[in-house]
Amino acid sequence: MDKKNPEGQTGLVEHVFKKGLCVTCGACVDLCPYMHYHDGRVTVMDKCQAEDGRCFKWCPRAVPPGMNTADAEQMAAKGIGPFRKIVAARACDEKKRESSQNGGMATALLTLAMETGMIQGAILTDRGDDDAPSGKMVLSKEMISAFSGSRYSASGALSALNRAVGKGVEKIGVVGLPCQMEALERRHQYYIKKQMTDQVTLKIGLFCTWALDYRKLAAYLEQEGLTGTVIKCDIPPPPAEIFRVYTTGGTFDFPLPDIRQMIQKGCSVCTDMTSLYADISLGAYEGREGWNTLIIRTETGEKLVDLAVSKGRIEIEAFPEKNMSDLDHAAQNKKNRGADASLKMTEGEVGS
Amino acid sequence: MKKIFQKNGNINLLLQGNEAIARGALEGDVSFCSGYPGNPSSEIIETLADAASHLPIYTEWSINEKVAVEAAAAASFAGLRSIVCMKQCGLNVASDFLVNLTLSGTKGGMVLVTCDDPSGISSTNEEDARVFADLADTPLLEPSTPQEALEMTKWAFDLSEKINNIVLLRSVSHLSHTRSVVRIGELPENEKKARFDTRNPFHTFPVIAKHNIRHEKLKTAETIFESSSWNPYQGPEEPELLIMACGSAWCYVLEAVEIAGLTGRIGILKLGTTWPLPKKIVRETLRKCDRILFAEEVDPFIETAIKAYAADLGEEAGGKTFMGKASGHIPSTGELNPSIFLNLFEILFGLDLINKTYREKVGEHLDGVIFPREFGFCPGCPHRGSYYAIKQALAWDNRDGFISGDIGCYTMGIWPTGFNQVKSVHAMGSGLGIASGYGKLAQFGFDQPVVTVCGDSTFYHAGLPGLINAKFNKSDILLLVLDNSATAMTGFQPHPGTGSTATGEDTEPVDLEALLRSLNIGVDVADPYETEASAQKIYALLQKKGPRVLIMKRKCALVQGKQGGFPYQMSVNHDVCLGESCGCGRYCTRIFRCPGLIWDKENMKATIDQVVCVGCGMCADICPRGAIEKTGKRN
Amino acid sequence: MQLNLIITGVGGQGNVLASQVLGHAAVHKGLFVTIGETFGLSQRGGPVLSHIRLSDTALPGPIIPPNAAHMVVGLEPLEPVRILQEFGNEDTVFIVNSRPIHPLNVIAGDAKYPDDRWLKNTLECFGKKLYWLDATELAISLGGAIMLNMIMLGALSEMDGFPISKSDIKDVIRTIFPESKLEMNHKALDLGSKLVQNA
Repeated sequence: MDKKNPEGQTGLVEHVFKKGLCVTCGACVDLCPYMHYHDGRVTVMDKCQAEDGRCFKWCPRAVPPGMNTADAEQMAAKGIGPFRKIVAARACDEKKRESSQNGGMATALLTLAMETGMIQGAILTDRGDDDAPSGKMVLSKEMISAFSGSRYSASGALSALNRAVGKGVEKIGVVGLPCQMEALERRHQYYIKKQMTDQVTLKIGLFCTWALDYRKLAAYLEQEGLTGTVIKCDIPPPPAEIFRVYTTGGTFDFPLPDIRQMIQKGCSVCTDMTSLYADISLGAYEGREGWNTLIIRTETGEKLVDLAVSKGRIEIEAFPEKNMSDLDHAAQNKKNRGADASLKMTEGEVGS
Repeated sequence: MKKIFQKNGNINLLLQGNEAIARGALEGDVSFCSGYPGNPSSEIIETLADAASHLPIYTEWSINEKVAVEAAAAASFAGLRSIVCMKQCGLNVASDFLVNLTLSGTKGGMVLVTCDDPSGISSTNEEDARVFADLADTPLLEPSTPQEALEMTKWAFDLSEKINNIVLLRSVSHLSHTRSVVRIGELPENEKKARFDTRNPFHTFPVIAKHNIRHEKLKTAETIFESSSWNPYQGPEEPELLIMACGSAWCYVLEAVEIAGLTGRIGILKLGTTWPLPKKIVRETLRKCDRILFAEEVDPFIETAIKAYAADLGEEAGGKTFMGKASGHIPSTGELNPSIFLNLFEILFGLDLINKTYREKVGEHLDGVIFPREFGFCPGCPHRGSYYAIKQALAWDNRDGFISGDIGCYTMGIWPTGFNQVKSVHAMGSGLGIASGYGKLAQFGFDQPVVTVCGDSTFYHAGLPGLINAKFNKSDILLLVLDNSATAMTGFQPHPGTGSTATGEDTEPVDLEALLRSLNIGVDVADPYETEASAQKIYALLQKKGPRVLIMKRKCALVQGKQGGFPYQMSVNHDVCLGESCGCGRYCTRIFRCPGLIWDKENMKATIDQVVCVGCGMCADICPRGAIEKTGKRN
Repeated sequence: MQLNLIITGVGGQGNVLASQVLGHAAVHKGLFVTIGETFGLSQRGGPVLSHIRLSDTALPGPIIPPNAAHMVVGLEPLEPVRILQEFGNEDTVFIVNSRPIHPLNVIAGDAKYPDDRWLKNTLECFGKKLYWLDATELAISLGGAIMLNMIMLGALSEMDGFPISKSDIKDVIRTIFPESKLEMNHKALDLGSKLVQNA
């Protein structure tokens, strides 16, 4: 890269923020005083002069496609990408299943990982109640279940990882979106280059089609008369076309097309639906209430799932061929859409 | 008692121009003194406030310049002599009253001193306040030296009483802030009684009649000027060049002529009374020479008047060549100095007066090495904390917000010391007025948040109307009152919120919070040193509508210093300091920019300048690694 | 006799007080004196410049004519260089405190403060004589950086052709400072004059 595009905050601002491509993963936040996550958004606080900064190196949107190992692998992967095993699964604990999107799966796996010492702490996304969702470091397994339930909003959760590093926790598990898994991969490669030990020992990635801009969503919900504190959000299966919000004041439905207006611009160039860089990717099982799709991608992931099954924490079933092909198709669609959008953006730049 | 207040005269003292004006007022038997602080005028009222504890006079810092002139006018109406002092910008504020006052006329001798600031060394502009003499038909005196400042001030009271109207006296920075040996006169000891004669009211009606009277008064002043000694000519009877000079410019001309060895070839008319023109004197002097150069600071005031007068003289004046600001011989902006005239004499007389070889050699040697010193808030200044918090909140908000600024130390928010957050600065209180306008632009798609900042003194001076306008018109305005309990910029003059008057008397301070609450405007208070908490409050307020006020309350660091100082001893733990590495990038010295922090080039670490640091502790909170440590001060 | 002296430094270094002391001393001696001061945002890190003009014949103006400074006292080493082109000449004598006060733009890394050697060379090269004094260290050893101005006045009083003596200065400060501060200030003056005698 030439000097005009230094691999620091200047590059980050140029390639990501000015283009509106920030996906609010939080990888660049709280490494320094220059980048903050506040009220659902990552913001540039001051100008940093460093030409070699982690904020740029770890950002899943900073480097143009193909410029980085992580990109290259992602570009090469088709559909749901490489994996060791794919199964249908659900947590055995019914209570855990009820309150969460993922059938209590993440909670069950993290709890076990913590018990076995695979991780000492977990980076999870706090619902935020009346405030924006945000990342938290959880150090006890009892606390893990309090963090389930999605808001479909970006959360900057990796900032919690940045805050936790250097505070004595050596093994950390992270639950996050595909962009966050990609950031962790970039981070991992940076650590290898610098000959440092990565503290992240377990990555549980979620399926994701898009995430919403929290501030836009909050303003919309307020304007549309939502009352009470948000507990969780859900998108019931088609053809409902609604966005359902459960709050302490009741259940509210909003037209999905309205909600789609609030998708982060950065999500439009995303090519990863199933968290290619996770140890275990976790998503819904279309048409089967309470069950998950589990893509086991690494040895670490496989060991944990095997142990969870043997200890009776989760039960698994074979994943039907038909579902497999549907999922692969959906993942490939997202990949194509993202690549197209990315190309258009680049062409736009060239043209201008 | 200071010598400047002694009764006896006939001794030489070292006096600053402003002190000389104050002494002149005392020698002129002044009773009532008022003003509003502002460089370069503040020392006049400061001196007279000091005098009030020794002599039977009254001195006040008024809430603004208009009120100052009004209060002083009351004394004049009641038969007492009064003086009112301000800087050039202040006369704009006072002008509405002034143009009416000169119609009603005055009784007791009344003098208005304006101290102009050529080059705008400590002002937002370098306007020439002399235009108000023309606008308000007011006699105008322009002293050149502290001695003359004393004598003219004293004389101005007599003149005012002779024409029953206020007299303007114009100083400039290089007179007000020049000290020189001054021979003082005696102080009078007259018994005075203030009384308003109800048979002789003061108002402007009937307007045309009063306007005519005002013109007659000006005519009388002209006659008095013509027989006065303020307009001496010096030089040959038939000079090759005639210079008409006034104020400090006269000093520069005089010296340049001498250095150039042109005393036998150049004539200098020193104009001490510049409005109305002493026409007879000007007419006689114009006969001496056809080449005329004008030397005056800021606007071509006498230049324009004399050229117009020469046109009236028609053939008698003949073909004159006028040189000055209009012709480009004299710079049309900025302070003058002897160098400008020497350069001009080189051209006009074909001389070699300036050591160009030396200047060129030095210039080459220094090229690119010398840079201006960046201004900054003092160590421990609460404004640094306030701007840091606003910067945080506006960045979090992420809608390209900005600050509408105002007048005071905090004007420096336009520079890196205030993180360049202030995007407009004009006149006292105008930050609020402008903000109240932005607050009504939403219907035109305006979606940037605006914070307006206003110091406590400025708020009382001219801020309140802007805020009430916002309340009245339901404007979305967020005001941060930067309440440091001081008029710090101009030298810590008391104001309505400080609890003491100009003369140090106790007075009940205005309760700013209660005042704001009485408008039924949401008011909250934050501590600028608590930057994180303040930023959270500001961010929350930015999300709301209507008029909102946050008082950033913390005494000026210099005041805190005087009251016992700060509790901390600061140090940097070099083992922890990240320096230029990713994660910090010299955040404290490069971004926070407190002068108490320095960059240790050898170790590539931040460090504390123990000579400069006052120990406020703010930097410990902004260090990303906690490397800056605060401990209790060792005594 | 006419003498043009510049005292230059930054806000807070006691420039105004130093020139006032000289001014009072001059008045006591029956000299004509004019001191022109420029201090815009002086308390906020800006330069403070005093033109002190002494004469036994007529009252001088407030600004020294171009390249006509006889002596320059620098309370800080960069400031005398700043006025060199406008007021310096081949015969100017410089009395300069060696300790820099770095402005914010230097601390922040936006501007580069010239090094000692360059500053010294410049003043030596473009004047008659340079007295380069480590006066801040001396002031701190005396009780605080605030003593700097008196040390520099002590040094100044030793210059050939400077019409105000150390005892003239002592007479003035006796009328300005409280009794308790006198000894320290006298000591500062004495140390200042010794500094240049040894130089």
